[in-house]
Amino acid sequence: MKTANMSKRTLIEEYRRFFPGAMLDSMRSEGLDIIEGKREGAFIYDEKGKRYIDCITSASVHNLGRRPRGVTAAFRKALRETDQGNFPMISREKAALAAKIAAFSPYGLDCVVFSVTRGESVDFACKLVRGATGRGGIVTVDGSWFGQTGFALSLSERADRGIYGPLVPGVDIIPFGDFAAAAKAVTDGTAAVILEPMQAENGCRAAYPEYLGELRRLCDARGAVLVFDETQSGMGRTGKKFFLEYSGVVPDVLVIGEALGAGVFPIAATVFTEKLNRFMNRHPLIHLSTFGGSDIGCMTAIAALELYERLRPWENAETMGRRLRSGLEKALRRRSRQIGRVSGAGLLLAVDFGNRANALAFCRSAARSGVLVKTGEVDRSSVLIRPSLLITPTQTNEIIEAMGKAAENK
Amino acid sequence: MRARSSGKGAVLGRGEKKRIEEQFARHINRGQVKYLKAGHLDVLETMRRGIRFTDEATGRTMIDCFTSAGCFNVGRGNPVVLAALEEALDSLDMGSWMLLSPWKAALARELVQVAPRGLDRVFFASGGGDAIDCAIKLARGATGRPTVISTVKAYHGHTGFALSANGKEHYRRYFEPLMPGFRFVPFNDSEAIASAVDEKNAAVIIEPIQGEAGIFAADDEYLRELRRLCDRHGALLIFDEVQTGFCRTGRFFACEHSRVVPDIMALAKSIGGGVYPNGAVLYRGLPVINRFLKKHHDFHTSYNGGSDIGCCVSLAVIRFMRETRLWEKAERSGARLYSALEDIRRENPAIIREVRGLGLMIGIEYIHEFMGPMMSDALAKNGVFAAYSGNAPQVMRFMPPLVASDEDIDEIIAATRAAVGAMKSILPLALPAARVPFLLNLLNNERVQTLLFNWLRSAEDLVERIPGLGGRNK
Repeated sequence: MKTANMSKRTLIEEYRRFFPGAMLDSMRSEGLDIIEGKREGAFIYDEKGKRYIDCITSASVHNLGRRPRGVTAAFRKALRETDQGNFPMISREKAALAAKIAAFSPYGLDCVVFSVTRGESVDFACKLVRGATGRGGIVTVDGSWFGQTGFALSLSERADRGIYGPLVPGVDIIPFGDFAAAAKAVTDGTAAVILEPMQAENGCRAAYPEYLGELRRLCDARGAVLVFDETQSGMGRTGKKFFLEYSGVVPDVLVIGEALGAGVFPIAATVFTEKLNRFMNRHPLIHLSTFGGSDIGCMTAIAALELYERLRPWENAETMGRRLRSGLEKALRRRSRQIGRVSGAGLLLAVDFGNRANALAFCRSAARSGVLVKTGEVDRSSVLIRPSLLITPTQTNEIIEAMGKAAENK
Repeated sequence: MRARSSGKGAVLGRGEKKRIEEQFARHINRGQVKYLKAGHLDVLETMRRGIRFTDEATGRTMIDCFTSAGCFNVGRGNPVVLAALEEALDSLDMGSWMLLSPWKAALARELVQVAPRGLDRVFFASGGGDAIDCAIKLARGATGRPTVISTVKAYHGHTGFALSANGKEHYRRYFEPLMPGFRFVPFNDSEAIASAVDEKNAAVIIEPIQGEAGIFAADDEYLRELRRLCDRHGALLIFDEVQTGFCRTGRFFACEHSRVVPDIMALAKSIGGGVYPNGAVLYRGLPVINRFLKKHHDFHTSYNGGSDIGCCVSLAVIRFMRETRLWEKAERSGARLYSALEDIRRENPAIIREVRGLGLMIGIEYIHEFMGPMMSDALAKNGVFAAYSGNAPQVMRFMPPLVASDEDIDEIIAATRAAVGAMKSILPLALPAARVPFLLNLLNNERVQTLLFNWLRSAEDLVERIPGLGGRNK
């Protein structure tokens, strides 16, 4: 492909011409101004053939590694048989994937609405809870990151939130983990409490099981809906199928992110109870998505889910996660006292660097050592480590070694 | 080659269709199944090729005049697009949004080349709603102003910002409160917009042709007036060309008809070639926007739009359109279809009120809302799949793939003529009822329609199952 052979200088000129210049500066500051060429399994190669271990995985999209064979093959087969389909139609592919997701999800979550991207799934979740309860209030916690679309942005903690005009009203952001604040915030006017049980972009801050249990109890008592967004923590990433398994708390709505398409096809889903679906059944086609759950995408995601079921990558994530975490703790602490603790679970880990400059310097240094990592969007002094869930012990050791070197040279 | 079943006439067993419907009803939406059945839209698409697909349940092949509201401009299973996709699959995946991608850059260059002069900068989005959310955030962020003016009956999508800009109560009412600061003015009304735009206005957002509302084209002079008003008050002009873009209206973009260049243009649907999600937001490098982006380049990072595979697909789509000069074909075929439909209207004033549109984006408005579902069925029986508009059930949209040949267009015309003929035979029953206001309201009520037409469908199915009485209509 001609495009693939573009030199880096030419490409950067093209970027300057068509995209905001500040975008390039930002890439450079994280050491990510790298051409993503060939990609396979745990690795990315740049245009010169330099190999990197992908520890970003597009924010937990490429959970099964890059271009998992079964999934690309299924996509190839699908494109010869079908296409995206007419979105409002009854579809064999959509029905089959929805049934598969229901079986894969925690008990009681049987109904599915598809989307392309996380924000869209979160926006739909917010609409669903308002429609089903007839209430307007949405309670969420600080430190969240849900995506870019209207509702998702209104619920997220970001510095620029105020500059996009008045956002969705009725949103109450309470301190994470604060029982008393939750008890006060959840009222008879609350449609839902929505949160990420593990806030990946916020230094992998995890909710205590007791806190999630208390939110469940409050929602039940007030007739509110409990929504978990497991876009990043789900699909095996944290050492369980879903992070919620650590607490045993099952929400009424679960947002499953783009890991569903294994990085081959953009598809995400909102999964919820039959009780909530009564509202959608009364108002069919009230929420539409042209590309969400396209037939060709459903066939691809079915293959991805089959691979998840067969490989059970959460098991490897747990073992390798433990190895990576203890290795990192040793390798990083030994070299620098400024480096704080490692948080997270499974293969969703965050390292605290105290300030943004240090975090960025570490990212750049890691890239030079052959590992791609990125800072968190909320806690911008943390660096996230999210490799393929199928990494081998050797690759894990390689990450640890490269990180140690990166900490030394930063 | 893209057939799942063994070929034409391979009809799915009744049990299998029931199983699929039940699975869909249980895990996705039971109401949707009922609604589609009532509207005679419960087909299972297979053998999706060119401008046609086959309903797996009946074996009936139909011309697709809905095309997912304008997604299949290059035709279904377009060989150029599929070849590009196959090649992309040899080495690529979605990629990583935070790394450098030659494919993103190549698509940006191609988009800018086909776009009206001045729209020379690009963001990517994962679809129509996401593109609109991006456009509105850009306008509010850059101008620092809160209000957005949209139009009555406008349709912009279902995500937070897009939904707030939807001018039809139906999509918004259960999800309030939505974002404050959105105002709605009557479409095509210069006076109304003149008194609405002021210094607090971040943007005016409009579809150059309202699609979901029932195919209403904005007058050129109205669009020019919008441009003047926005310039005078420092507001940004956003065109939603999600449905009208990519050759649909006889130009590459609908705004070329009026030569009005917006400041921001949202694109999706056909950019994905009918196979892969993608979307884009083109904008002018105005000082007010550039200043904003210096600080907030990541104001709407697209995680899934502009993926590497998606860019390869979109590149092939644009290449195909340029090489075949697809907009010219759309204009020619549009004129042919329009004039024939206009003839049918003249012959049937008791059924069709108006025919309107531009290029191959044509709407037929019936006299009564209840005629929409009936015509859907009559058309399907004559080999044409067309859906009535969500925001206006009395309007049926004809948006076939732009690769349709003259013969295909003539087939659509013949089917419409036959369907209108079939309608005439039912009308002596329905029209007297329509003269009683109470009964007309009932007939036009969506829920009553679902109940009534579902009952009729069951009765039809029953008749078909009795040997000697029925038999499938193929």
